[in-house]
Order: sequence, then C-alpha cells, then structure tokens
Amino acid sequence: MLELDLEVVRDGFALEVQLSLGPGPTALVGPNGAGKSTLLRAILGAVPVRRGRIVLDGHVLLDTDRGISVPTEERRVAWVPQEYALFPHLTVQENVAFGVPGPAGHARADALIGQLGLEALRSRRPGALSGGERQKVALARALATEPRALLLDEPLAALDADTREATRTLLAESLHRLAIPSMVVTHEMRDVLALQGSVVLLEGGRVRSTGTLDLFRAAPPSEFARSLVTRAIGSV
Amino acid sequence: MSSRAGARLLGLLPAAAAALMLVVLAVPLLALVLSTPPGDLVAGLRHPLALSALRLSLLTTTTSLALTLLLGTPLAWWMARHPGPAERVAATIVQLPIVVPPAVSGLALLLAFGRRGLLGPALEQAGWALPFTTAAVVLAELFVSAPFYIQSAAATFRRLDEDLLWAARSLGAGPARRFVRVVLPLSRPGIVTGAALSWARALGEFGATLMFAGNLQGRTQTLPLAIYSALETDLRPAKALSILLVAVALAVLGILGRGTVLEAVRARA
Repeated sequence: MLELDLEVVRDGFALEVQLSLGPGPTALVGPNGAGKSTLLRAILGAVPVRRGRIVLDGHVLLDTDRGISVPTEERRVAWVPQEYALFPHLTVQENVAFGVPGPAGHARADALIGQLGLEALRSRRPGALSGGERQKVALARALATEPRALLLDEPLAALDADTREATRTLLAESLHRLAIPSMVVTHEMRDVLALQGSVVLLEGGRVRSTGTLDLFRAAPPSEFARSLVTRAIGSV
Repeated sequence: MSSRAGARLLGLLPAAAAALMLVVLAVPLLALVLSTPPGDLVAGLRHPLALSALRLSLLTTTTSLALTLLLGTPLAWWMARHPGPAERVAATIVQLPIVVPPAVSGLALLLAFGRRGLLGPALEQAGWALPFTTAAVVLAELFVSAPFYIQSAAATFRRLDEDLLWAARSLGAGPARRFVRVVLPLSRPGIVTGAALSWARALGEFGATLMFAGNLQGRTQTLPLAIYSALETDLRPAKALSILLVAVALAVLGILGRGTVLEAVRARA
C-alpha cells in the first residue's frame, strides 16, 4: 500500500495530491504539464516536497511535519524514467545487477535476465540495444532490487508501434504478478486498457478522479478523459 | 599592374598570412631540434644538472598532480552541483591563476606563505618554512596547474545526466558507490584531459617557482629552471632538456587527441 499526501511547489507550479494505491498497476493519466512526472519524482525523493507524507507498506518515507525524509537510496522505490536512464558504460548484466551487489544479487539479476529473454544481450551495452530491449533491461534492473513500489514514467513512449504492442502485454503481466503498488504514467488509452488496474487522472497538479478502469471508461470525468477514451476507440 | 592581377594578389594575402603564422610557430621548435645533434642530446641528458632536474620535476609534478586530483575533484564536483553566487565566486578564484602572469603568482605565493607573509609566521611556528624548499615548488605547481584540472572536471560533471544519478540512488547506491560506479567512469575523458593539461602546466612552471622556491639544484631546480641556468654555462643540457619537454608535450597532445584539446579549451573559456 502506497499512501500519498503531497504538496510540491516547483517553478511556480503547484502539485497537491492525496492518493492511496493498493498492490498492482495504477495508470496515471493527464494532459501535458499536469504534474505526472513531478509526482513520480516526489515519491522518489528527487523533488523537494513542501509539505506532506509518504507511507509505503507502513514505512514512513516522508513526513514533513515530523522532519522525516528517508533518502532515495533507502526508499526501495524503483523508478524507470522516460529514457530509461540505463548506465551507458555498463553491460546489460551489469546494469541489471547494479542495485544488487554480491553473488545472491547476481543470481537474481541473472534470473530476471532469463525471464525477460535478455540472455543473448547480457554483455551488450545499452547503446547497442533497441528501444524495446532497453525497456526490458530498465524493468529488470528495477525489479532486481525487489522494490516495495515501482514508478514507470511513460515506459512505452519511446518504442515503435510493433514493439509497443508486444511490450505492453509483457509489462502488464509483470506488474500484476509483482503485487506491489506500481504507478505507470501514460498518454495512451491502450496502455490503460492493457494494465487493467485503477486509473488516476491528474489535471493542473490535482487529482481529478481516481477509480476503476470501467468507471473511467463509462463516465470519463473530464474533457481530457473523454478525448483519451474516444481516441482509443477511434484507433482500434 | 592590371586590376585583375592586383585582385589576384589580394586574394593570396590570407594564404600568405596563414603560412607566415605557421612559420613563426614552427621555426623556433625546428631550430631547437636542428641545433641538437644526437651526440649533444645524449651528453646533455647525462649532465648532472639535467639528471637532478629531471628527478625533481618528476617528483614535484607527480605530487602536485596527486594533490590536484585529491583536492580538486571534490571542489569540481561541488562547483558542478551547486550553481549559484558562491559557485561563481569559486569559479573566478579557480580561473584567476590561469590568466594571472606567473611572476604575479610567485609574488602572491611569497606574500602568502613567505617568512613575513600572511601565513608565514604561523607556518614557521608549526616548524614549516616553505620558501626555497621542494614543498614550495609543489605549492607553486599546484597553484598554477590545478585550475586546468578543476575546470575540465567541473565541465564534465555538469554534463552528467542527472537522471542516471537518480536511477543509481533508486537502486540503493549511496554517494560513494554512485561516484565510483557512475560519475567517475562517465567523466573519465574530462578527468584525463584535465589531469594531462594540468600536469603539463605544472611541468612547464617557471616564473612562480623561480620567485617562490628559488633555483637551487637538487631542491627547487626543476626542468625549466635547469634550462634557464644551463644557458649561462653549457648549452647542451638546456637543449637536451628542451627537446625532452617538447617530446613530453607531444605525448600529452597524443593522450588528449585533437578533439579533446579543443573541448578542454572551450570548457576553460
């Protein structure tokens, strides 16, 4: 369970979010500039939070009233940014094992490399990988640390159409299997549909709605949501 | 002369100017090489003056480079990560020794660390008399050469992708692990360039050393000072050492590669 109560002010933009996320994927949608990436970075600890609380599985990661702020490296919140931020100087194997030093960690990294079908690419560097391959490596690297929550910022946006279809299913399956709160920023209704989780709509730095996928589709809570839903119908 | 011929001559002017510039730059070094037969080179390098200067230069430049890396890297990192008024003040302090004439640096060092300088009495009480010691040579070299490294390293650190560091943190990596596994390997070109430029500058240091450390054979007489001294007695060690320094300079250029030299100069500007 990931409980958020956050107030972030950054470059004149204010983000105010109260949310509670259960295990499994949650799609985070909203127009450009709604604060989606900022929200992820605030949970990660990469953006200063003016006031608020973050509680993950009973662990207080942040409580500004009590002066608690657990450093990013101890939050056990995995983060996959838009361009994946793979370490360009390390091989696939080294990237995946980065967060899990030692033989036990390497074994886990190897297992994930196998699960995601990356064996043949083990000794390649990110520069020599396709977009889809990089995405998998980033996911494997994040999962190797056995995080308590997973934050994915437009994980499919950098992929070409074909790769996107294949990766989308794989990603949705992985997130359901994981059973930890995972937040997926996306601009695509197809991603939202594939994730089969709850949907949070962020507009102008505030949560406009939160609920099930079915509800989101049946009664889109805003103009943006309606266009997202109809665009998907049009493209199918 | 027809106007057409005049125009043609005028058109050749830039090429002539360029050629003249190149000649001015090349002839002195050519003269150095041509006036030193191999026999003179060997004899010059075997000269006692040359040997002791060579040893001293290696010792002092290695020490000053080690100090530069040890103290300069944290400063460069801080400058890259904390842009603002304090960083701009620090950047100016770091730039000054690059542009200030070496004689001024030497005088400034004397006024700071000399026996009657700003910190001289305190140092003397602690049993440290710096001027005219090998330590003074190291300090002079550090003063004039560290800025080259700091600027190059800071420029490289500034270019690091912030998200890579956040990704490393999200994977549980603390500051030391991030620095060793992510920052250093990704900054290696800038660090190597800066270190090579800085070392080359320290090796060639003359004016500040002469004023602050003196010219004592075996103690403060580095290669450039030995060349200067040899001019008055035996020219052979001067020529041999000069050729040696030119060879070292060529080697440094080789390490840097053409692209990185330009990059380093841009980073400094």
